[in-house]
Amino acid sequence: MAGTIRAQYPATIRPIRINCTGRVTPSLMMRAIGKGADGVIVAG
Amino acid sequence: MLQTARTPGLNLHTYSEVEEVTGFVGNFKVKIRKKARYVNNECNGCGACWEVCPAYGYNEFNEGLNPRRAIYASFAQAVPMLAQIDMTQCIKCGLCIKACEVEAIDFDQEDEILEIEVGSIVVATGWDEYEPETGYLGYNVYPNVITQLKLERILAPNGPTVGHLKRPSDGKEPKNVLFIQCVGSRDLTRKTYCSAGVCCMISVKNTKLIKQHAPHIDVTVAYMDIRAAGKDYEEYFTASRKEGIKYIRTNVSRLQEDPETHNLKVVIQNTVGTTKLKEFEYDLVVLSCAMMPAKGIEKISSILKLEKSHDGFFKEFHSRLNPIDTKIPGIVLAGVSQGPKAISDSIVQGRAAASSLARLMMKDKYRILLIRATVDNEKCAKCGLCQLNCPYDAIKVEPDGAEVNEILCRGCGACLANCPSEAITLRYYREPQYEKQIDAILENI
Repeated sequence: MAGTIRAQYPATIRPIRINCTGRVTPSLMMRAIGKGADGVIVAG
Repeated sequence: MLQTARTPGLNLHTYSEVEEVTGFVGNFKVKIRKKARYVNNECNGCGACWEVCPAYGYNEFNEGLNPRRAIYASFAQAVPMLAQIDMTQCIKCGLCIKACEVEAIDFDQEDEILEIEVGSIVVATGWDEYEPETGYLGYNVYPNVITQLKLERILAPNGPTVGHLKRPSDGKEPKNVLFIQCVGSRDLTRKTYCSAGVCCMISVKNTKLIKQHAPHIDVTVAYMDIRAAGKDYEEYFTASRKEGIKYIRTNVSRLQEDPETHNLKVVIQNTVGTTKLKEFEYDLVVLSCAMMPAKGIEKISSILKLEKSHDGFFKEFHSRLNPIDTKIPGIVLAGVSQGPKAISDSIVQGRAAASSLARLMMKDKYRILLIRATVDNEKCAKCGLCQLNCPYDAIKVEPDGAEVNEILCRGCGACLANCPSEAITLRYYREPQYEKQIDAILENI
């Protein structure tokens, strides 16, 4: 989305493509934070 | 419609409602309620019954401009041409039974439920006119403020005034008429969308019709922008201006009635020419209202589990690249059910919908992606959360555990994110795969 609308976003953001935001489980988000990510954005 | 009724193998169910749809592409089961007409198929539409009927009801076809009998044909060209009885108005006097030569009238008829199996569904529910709230631009308060559809009926040769332009308050021909565009549309407090230029073009057409019929009538159109995009539309608009119809770019500041003459005093400001507000007096005001999703769209959307866009019309698969399909395979949209559009665009979409389904139905096989939810029945606790969260109605809790319908399932994964027992996995998108991705991305932090 950010790409198609030509939005600028910080280079430190690492996107992971997921079929549907409904697929995101709390454990995945917690894992990312546990591994040192500052935050998780669920967008779609 | 007549051709539809005559085509062999094509079944037309009029005066019917879809009650329930189950199944999936290729195997839909549809329950249809055929409402009781209290007239059987022996009826040949001769009209002997409504000539003797003493009870009257609201004439839906003529927008209530004149009454109709309690036994009536919905409109003159109805297919099939069968009479029907409005039981809310019928006094059961039995005069129609005596008048009917083919013994078609049956007061005891009941609704009939039909169950049919179909492979695919086209949703073409059409539109209704936006009804302004009472008092807005004098609607429902002043008799000579009418909507565009009422004017259509007044100008129609088979309408209540046999095509003569007469205003409702005194039945006299108006000396001047004002059309107000964008009523309810392009309005942040009402409908924000533009009805794709349809109301503009209906107004242009009706101004031309009025001028053709009675050139001495003074016709003015108060508009925001005339949206005449389309083949020959701009030329049609220009032709209307050449015929002497005045177009004023303005918003209507005030509209009040003269209580004695029922004429309407309208304050407008020509924003293209002068900048001062001016009061004009008109005999008849026509509100050119927005197109709205048809009444009953809520019911159809809940029966078919179709999404709607923010404007209330059915949501297509992709507004630019695929405006015909819905998110459910085998269900497609045609015409204004998807969004406001003119007749030619509706025909284009209707044909596209039909041919896209023909392509789908001609094959014996239906290909699906393998990205589907799978259930480990040993882990499943049959709690039903997956069934509750499935947007496609693809997962059902059975006695042996949850079961996924692989055709309905779109592989979104909403079920597995909600599964407390972690019994569901999504093929090719399993939890460990994401965990590995997250680990790899965050390795160097």
